[in-house]
Amino acid sequence: MNNLILEVNDVAVAFGGIKAVNGATMSVEVGSVTSVIGPNGAGKTTLFNLISGATKPDSGTILFQGFEIQKLLPHKIAGRGIVRTFQGAKVIKRLSVLENLMLGAQNNPGDNLINFFNPRARNAFEKQARDHAMALLKQVGIERFANDYAGILSGGQRKLLDLARALMAEPVMLLLDEPFAGVNPTLVEKLLEVLHALRTEHHLTFLLVEHDLETVMNISDRVVVMAEGQVIADGLPNSIYENQAVVDAYLGTRKLK
Amino acid sequence: MTAILQPGFWVFILTMSGIYGIFTLGLQVQYGVGGILNFGHVGMMALSSYTMAILVIAHGFNFWIAAASGVAVAALGGAFLGLTTLRLRGDYFSIVSIAFSEIVRYVIFNSDGLTGGAQGSLAIMPIGDAYPSYTDTWDTILYWIRDHLTPIFGEIADRDMAMGILVWITLGILLFIVSRVERTSWARVLRATREDDDVPSALGKNVFRFRLQAVIIGSIIGGIAGIYWALQVTLLSPDDFLTIVTFYAWMILILSGATKVKGLAIAAIFFGFLYGGTRFFTFWPFSFFDSSQRSYMRIMIIGIVLIVLMIRRPQGIFGKREEMVLE
Repeated sequence: MNNLILEVNDVAVAFGGIKAVNGATMSVEVGSVTSVIGPNGAGKTTLFNLISGATKPDSGTILFQGFEIQKLLPHKIAGRGIVRTFQGAKVIKRLSVLENLMLGAQNNPGDNLINFFNPRARNAFEKQARDHAMALLKQVGIERFANDYAGILSGGQRKLLDLARALMAEPVMLLLDEPFAGVNPTLVEKLLEVLHALRTEHHLTFLLVEHDLETVMNISDRVVVMAEGQVIADGLPNSIYENQAVVDAYLGTRKLK
Repeated sequence: MTAILQPGFWVFILTMSGIYGIFTLGLQVQYGVGGILNFGHVGMMALSSYTMAILVIAHGFNFWIAAASGVAVAALGGAFLGLTTLRLRGDYFSIVSIAFSEIVRYVIFNSDGLTGGAQGSLAIMPIGDAYPSYTDTWDTILYWIRDHLTPIFGEIADRDMAMGILVWITLGILLFIVSRVERTSWARVLRATREDDDVPSALGKNVFRFRLQAVIIGSIIGGIAGIYWALQVTLLSPDDFLTIVTFYAWMILILSGATKVKGLAIAAIFFGFLYGGTRFFTFWPFSFFDSSQRSYMRIMIIGIVLIVLMIRRPQGIFGKREEMVLE
């Protein structure tokens, strides 16, 4: 039985002469939390860009739910249910927090100009989406900023907004790029809580890029280690520590409790 | 100094303001909502007005069909410009758009047989022996309106006043429609794209489609302005469509505050008075210049106004500061 939701097979991409990802192979199981770790410049974010379609691979295939997606445009991939957040959290600063979330609403009739002449359908959807957006803002705890410009949010709040917006897009699989970097410990708790709820209630699949090893080891079902554009290890969190290649490339002699 | 007292002169100014207002509204959709810097907007006006004139004069088309075709050609022009160059990022699109409008103008200038070339629409070969005019149908309407205005305004009521009224009704309707369009989620996605492409596309929005639609809608509105332009000047010339016309519209847009439509009409009137009013600058120190030199004063004054605005009120008279300052 194949319960892999995502399969990355021998994917490579070069920028100029630099092979950012060089024959990476990995997979993600349905409903799991998989983390990608590795030193800076290992190709983690590039791997994310390849999966989300922002970058096109020079070779290799990426299968999502059995379909090849490596040639699809980013919005098509998002339409299939792979929704990502961004390293450092990207918010649309000159839209309100609520409007940022509303961007995530899928199949909005109002996005189609023809429906300008169908205000009933537009307004009904808009109202429903607004309620859903407010509920999500409440869930991540930034509902009091709903009508403020997103540009006023702090770094951590932007991460929460980025996450809530991704959830608004009804993902099947969430790609989170360094969700915990630069976030204070209480907020990390909050994020973990949200992720846990999503996992148990909505059976989402998660793929993370993260540097905070302790968090990674705690929440991941599987850890993929990248270095120099390749996957050098892939396994259960605990097995990673025993892998000599990982220790050499990333962990060093540092020991975790 | 007598012209300043003539109501006809002010009617003329208001009519031109209205046409510029319509023209600028097209830019507002593109830039104010979508952040698309189009410097070739005047090309759409040229396409629609010349298409209409040629169809009526040379092919005997019904005016309404010709006008609709003119606007359709402007829309196609926008689609062509968008499809070929919209994938270019920001500044590059702007440069190509200037080239586009200049190409349109040069083609008009050099296609003597089709457009009348440098002599303008006067030299378009008419069908039959008719005098080459495309305003006949419109004039009928204008005179009908004038006849109904005369009881109210007396002698002042004339063809030009009727024209001004129709222009402003059109601008009012378009302002209303556009302000409604800008409340849809379509416009929200466009507003997001003016800051960033990655976020909307990661959320499943085809950014290119939204931008292309914005350019086409702006071009349609520019095309409507072109029809009114043609009807107002009654004889078209390639020189009507210099790049400076696009920049006049930019001035109106910046003056009104690009992100909101509500100031646009007032900014257009302000521009109209500045544009037409400089001829009355006969007092010191302008008295040192002769009238042809004074006509260049308006470009200088417009420049000064823009500089002052940029320093004191970069969001425009009616714009929202916060929306610009958040970077």
